[in-house]
Order: sequence, then structure tokens, then C-alpha cells
Amino acid sequence: MDLDKLRETAAEVAAREDVKYLIGWKKGSYGYRVAPGFVEEAEGAAGLIFSPLCTANLATYLTLVEKLPLPRGQEPDKRKVALMVKGCDSRAVAQLLVEKGIHRDEVVVIGCPCPGMVDPDLLGEKYPETEEPAEVKWSDDGFIIVRDGEETAVPRDELLAEKCRLCRYPNPVISDIMLGDPVDTWDPAEDEGVSEVEDKDVDGRWAYWQEQFSNCIRCYSCRNVCPLCYCQDCILDRLNPTWVNRSVNFSENTAFNIARAFHLAGRCIECGECERVCPANIPLGKLNRKLAREVRDKYGFEPGLDPEAEPFQASFKPDDPEDFIL
Amino acid sequence: MSAMLLKKEKWPDFVGKLTGKKVWAPQGEGEEMRFAPVNEGEAPDLAYGNTRVPPKQAVFPQTETMFRFQVDGKEIEEPQLDQETVLLGVRPCDARSMAIVDKLFGWDENDPYYFKRRELVTLVGLACSEPGINCFCTSVGGGPAATEGLDLLMTDLGEDYLLEAVTEKGELLLKEAGDILEEAGDDRYKEKEKLAQAAAQKIKRSVDHEGIPEGLPGLWEDPLWQRVSASCLGCGTCTFLCPTCHCFDIQDEVEGFAARRCRMWDSCMFNEYSLHTSGHNPRPSRRERTRNRINHKYSYYVDKFDVIACVGCGRCINLCPVNIDIVEILRQVKEAL
Repeated sequence: MDLDKLRETAAEVAAREDVKYLIGWKKGSYGYRVAPGFVEEAEGAAGLIFSPLCTANLATYLTLVEKLPLPRGQEPDKRKVALMVKGCDSRAVAQLLVEKGIHRDEVVVIGCPCPGMVDPDLLGEKYPETEEPAEVKWSDDGFIIVRDGEETAVPRDELLAEKCRLCRYPNPVISDIMLGDPVDTWDPAEDEGVSEVEDKDVDGRWAYWQEQFSNCIRCYSCRNVCPLCYCQDCILDRLNPTWVNRSVNFSENTAFNIARAFHLAGRCIECGECERVCPANIPLGKLNRKLAREVRDKYGFEPGLDPEAEPFQASFKPDDPEDFIL
Repeated sequence: MSAMLLKKEKWPDFVGKLTGKKVWAPQGEGEEMRFAPVNEGEAPDLAYGNTRVPPKQAVFPQTETMFRFQVDGKEIEEPQLDQETVLLGVRPCDARSMAIVDKLFGWDENDPYYFKRRELVTLVGLACSEPGINCFCTSVGGGPAATEGLDLLMTDLGEDYLLEAVTEKGELLLKEAGDILEEAGDDRYKEKEKLAQAAAQKIKRSVDHEGIPEGLPGLWEDPLWQRVSASCLGCGTCTFLCPTCHCFDIQDEVEGFAARRCRMWDSCMFNEYSLHTSGHNPRPSRRERTRNRINHKYSYYVDKFDVIACVGCGRCINLCPVNIDIVEILRQVKEAL
């Protein structure tokens, strides 16, 4: 993608009178790190980037902002938030629109067609993180690592993130401004991660998730990073009644993780952020993609594609399969 | 301080001498490592960077049962704690964090739950030779071979470990190990000093905190807090993985008539943490919560206990999902002073 064009467009949008701020990606504080960048003035757009390291789904910030009580006489700032989105991120925006979590006139969506992100863990294994600035760029058939002043070409398959191998929508599904031409889509890989767990018997699956959930430290980074986990009153925070105890043990951790997964069934847009941010390395993507697979296979529904769609969990058809009801 | 040598091939014998004590060491693979009990008869591998979850859980478990009771009864039952535990391979920053947190738990009243475990724990440290890229212990009062908080410091000298007792508990371990140890000559001690210096030089990041503890409260309404917290997700990764973060909540958990009172880690980055019963929240957004995290570590704690509540382990930087970097925040604080 043409970075000058990106920065020019972002500067124009940030300068608009009806825009509060723009959220994009900027270079992080060291090494490969990329951080979300909040741009209020046009000049701030000069620091924005779009690279294979821009994994973060910025749509979460649309609902993360606290609505604080205002001093008497002060009007709320109703200007729009501009947001840069990849394909998966745009699906989160579309799904938020379906659920009326946000309204269309509150956002300016800047679409970034996405050739695929690198997996930060795979990258770190082969080209270790460094304190000096380093970056990754796209080439025609893969990635170019720029580190210690040297450029190394790496084939796409070697570093492509799992969520991108499985991706069916690399081009933003909604946008107000599109940066560059759509990328060619690719054949999504078979989701072997989910199939492997599916193939285990009940005891095997239980043992697998028991091991994973036992590692959970309940930091809630998966919930907070998720653009579609935005309940004002999350059941995990309720104390009266206490739905999920604060104790950190396998039983409560399981209650938490399963509750979250079920609440995302038919809503998860598979951006993979939960798994990326988990400090305990729990393969949360598998859990959420399993439910997405069920919803797709059984009901032929995929969330976050059409902002006008009826929400999956709020729809009923007489011929919906019900063979799971005993 | 007495220094002894342990041949690496005798490492399993050294661990074997710890019978009767529970042994904890870094377990797991790669970055998922955390401190966990070692199976009897096994000698843990000490070749690792640092654990993702700090060893604070050995003295301050994420969930601790204070006592059990019956909802319809009047008796309480307290768990018995008498198991001596040895933690092997604790990094000097993490050991130092315990010395720092001791001050808090021993401030007005001695916290019985914390100190009971603390007294039963012996910390066997391992000096760092390859600091991580976000380590900055040297600028906040620590070092790759610092001994504060440790009972015994081990340094990897290639074929051997150099063992230096720091406290009586450490001396006792050396005594119990007995003849599997050899006297360490002056040259080996010097070799260790050299390694420690070399490791310290490998540390690239630093914090210049001069003037920060006194200056931070004056920056209360500074726009920097909005800037550095805008991208914060409000999750508990930074605080839960911080070796000096020590906040907890206390809850009664009931199943039928059986109940237990327990305390568990809490995080000042959560909305619920400072939410009053009235519905008022004095720290209503991520801006106030981020400001509190930095103020607590670099100002309030210094004010009260004369030490910065940050040991420079770099975990919060390594694992923040959105690259919120405490070294960078402190640089901006310094600039704003």
C-alpha cells in the first residue's frame, strides 16, 4: 500500500470538522512493535503506517471509550470517529452496526485491503525481537523483514498468521474511503486446528480444554480486546448475583471462557485478537472458530458481512435445525 | 557471605538434598513458563529467560482460601500452612520484588497470610547472563546479580554454579548440601563479578526517575495521561504479570451451605476495582487508572516506603497487547516535569 496516500487521506479525514479523531496504526516503542495511533490533528497522520504487523483490530475502541458524566451545560461531543480497518476488522464494524452497538453516522470507515498479517510468534522465533526499530513489509510473494539494516525476503507461508491463512474476506466489507485496490483473495486453508480438537472423543476434548483453561489468569484481555465483547454490564463483573466466582481455578476459568464463547456464537468475526493477546497462550481462536463453523454449517450464517442483516441470535426460522434438542 | 562451587553434574544431587521441602521451579515451554511444583526426584532445567508469570504466586497466590465455614454454622476452618518451599531459579528482579512487597504487607499490621508463606519460602536465585530486551533493572535499583530478597544466589559459570549464601536460610541450604559442594576460590568469585558486569552492560533500556516521585502528583491533569492511555484496553495483563503488584479483593464464595472466604489478585486497571457501592467511580476511565498505576509505582510507594515499586523486569512491556510501554510513559513524564 502507498503510505503517502494513506497519510494524506488520514490527514484530510482527521482535519474534517465532523471528525473527533482518527484511529490507525503507528510504529511502536521498539523492535517490530506496532501500536494503535490516535490522531486528532492532521499533522499526527504523518506517523501512521500499514504493514504486516498491523494485526490489532482497532474496532474495539469504538465501544471501549467510557461515556463519562459531563459537567452541567456541556454538550456531548457527537463528532465521528474515523477508523482504519482491514477485512476482518471491517466485519467487526458491520456486526456492531447489525447489533446497533454503534450507528453508521458515528464512524468514518477507512478500508485497507489486506494481503495478510505475519504471526508475531513465528516472526519472533525466526527473527528475534530486537530493541532497535525493525519492520516487516509486503513483497509480491511474501514478506520482507527489515532488521539490523538488512532486508530478508521470506515466503508468505512461512510467517502468515493462522487467522489470515483461514481468511475469506481480506478486503473490507464496508468502508467510506477505500485505500488502494482490493487484493486478490486466496483459497482459505482448512481449519485443521478446529478439526483436530473436533476429532478427539469427549474425554479427549475435556482433557485438552482442561489443560488450556487451567492456565487462564483471568486478566480479561481477551474480553477487552474483543470488538464484539462490549456489554455495559458484563456477567463476569456482576457480584450480586455472582455468576462467575472470582476464584481462579479450572472450574471458574471454564465458566468464564465458555460463557464468552457462547456469547460470541454467530457474532465472532474471527479477527483472532483474543488469541493474540492472551498472556497464557490459550488457543481461544479454536474455540470461537468452532462455534463460527457450527453456525455456518448448520444455519448458513456468517456474521459481519451485511450491516443490514438480522442478528443471528435474534432470528428464528421454522426450518432451523433442532436435532440437538433432546 | 560464603561462596561454594557446585558441579553442574551434581545439580540433581543438590535438588535431591531438599527432601521434605516442596520445590518450585520454572516449568513449561518457552514463553509459557511459570513457577510450579517440581515432581519429586526431578531436577529442573534452569536454562530459561524469565517466567511469564512471576513467582509472586508462591507467597501471594492468585486465589487464597483464608478460611472455610458453613453458612448455617459458627465454626471456621483455616487451612494449615506448614510446608517449607524452596523456589529454584528465581531471577534477581523477582526476588527483589518480594523484598519490596514485604514492606506493604508488613506496614501497619503484619499480613498473616502473606508472611506465613513468606517465612516458609527459601528463594534460590539465578543471576542473569542474557537480560531480555525490555529489562531495565539496573536503573531502578536492581541488577542481573543483585541479591536483595534472595536467600542464595547461583551464578552459571559454565561447568559449575557458584553458590553464594545471602541469608541464614541460604547458609543452611549450603550446609545441608554438604560435601557435594566445593570451596570456591577467589578467581571463581571474580569470574562471577565479571559476568555480572557484562550482563549489566547488555541492558539497553533505562528509566531516568530522578525527580519523578516528587513531580508526578503535580502532573495530575497533564494531557500526557490521555495520550498514553488512549489505546489501553483496560485488561489486567500488566498488573497480574507484575511482580510487585499486590492488590487483592476478598470474596465469600458459597456452594450450597459450604462457603469459603478467599482473596484473589485484583487489578487497578479494572473498572470494578475502584467502583463504589454508591455507583460512583473515582477512577471512571482508563486515563485515571493508567495514571494511578504509574503514580502508585513511582510516587506513592516511594513516598511511603522509600523505594520504587517497579523492579524493571519488563513483563508489562513484553506482554501489553497494545504496546503501552512504561519506559516510554516515564520518558514522557520526565519531559512534562
